[in-house]
Amino acid sequence: MDDNSHERVERLIAKARIETISPDERLWLDRHIEECARCAGLSDATERALQSLRSVTVQVDPELVKRTQLMVRFRAHQLEGERAGMLPVWVCCALSWILGIATAKPVWRGFEWLGQHAGVPNLVWQAGFVAWWLLPAIVAAAVLAFHRPESGRAGL
Amino acid sequence: MSAILCWFANSMELETQSLARGLRRRDPELLDHLIGQYQFRLFRYLLYLTGRREEAEELFQETWIRVLERGYQYNGKAKFETWLFAIARHLVIDMLRRQKSPAASPASLDDLGDPGEGKPGFEPANPSSAALIDLLAAEEEGEHVRAALACLPAAYREVLMLRFQEDLQLEEIAAVTSAPLSSVKSRLYRGLAALREKLEKDHGR
Repeated sequence: MDDNSHERVERLIAKARIETISPDERLWLDRHIEECARCAGLSDATERALQSLRSVTVQVDPELVKRTQLMVRFRAHQLEGERAGMLPVWVCCALSWILGIATAKPVWRGFEWLGQHAGVPNLVWQAGFVAWWLLPAIVAAAVLAFHRPESGRAGL
Repeated sequence: MSAILCWFANSMELETQSLARGLRRRDPELLDHLIGQYQFRLFRYLLYLTGRREEAEELFQETWIRVLERGYQYNGKAKFETWLFAIARHLVIDMLRRQKSPAASPASLDDLGDPGEGKPGFEPANPSSAALIDLLAAEEEGEHVRAALACLPAAYREVLMLRFQEDLQLEEIAAVTSAPLSSVKSRLYRGLAALREKLEKDHGR
């Protein structure tokens, strides 16, 4: 047996546990391990290492769990309050949109009449109309952004 | 047989979808249940990453707060624990960033813990430190393992724990760690070899 075989065995021993190996690889590996004490020892050592790893247990303080459950409930209550507080904002946004759409035509005509009487180019009074129409949406977006429930948390 | 497998797959999907709906509603009973159900697994994961009880406990609480706040992001298509561990991992990285100086701020846990890729290890935790050892069950065999694990870089401990204690598939580990599959495999191979070597050395003393 050469060093290449031993290296291949070492890799297959790990691969069999981390991923999967083919039946041919399994057969080759088992035969080699039967004939090579060194590689058999390596296989046993790997199995022992994994069994030891799986045997590790962890103690969790029951008070930690209770505290966490309380904290989560409290935060849930806070978030519910914030959500309820945002309802009037959402209602205003909706009303603003509805009124905006409903009054778009007469307001457009109003801007058109003003523009013509003021002698400004069409582009100017049209831009003015767009700005007036978008203003409630911009204000609403700013209010919503300001009232985001979380702040200062990076990550997910 | 395939019908049975399909049935199991459908059942699991229904369960995760139900979980996703409960998280979107921020159901307090559901969250209490999840905190109790996953307490050991999550705490163990945080412990493996941080090596310190106080930090693991703090992050344990922060993780569940984050689960509450971002529950709408869980769509039920993957296992809940995959999403949970990913949240916990991000919080650990945030904590590391806050602890390190801005000049040496790591981009991720990956940069800190994979010596095999030419990067300095984040730990290992001081093997003589009682912090990690105190936390785990007092078993004679366990003490050797605890000491050996404490000597491994956090990135190796993490993947070993996810693969051999949580029994996650490699793709799931890649999703939790936001690392390529090849990196996950590489860390597992190196981590397993390092753990085996350390344990055999300790047993040989």
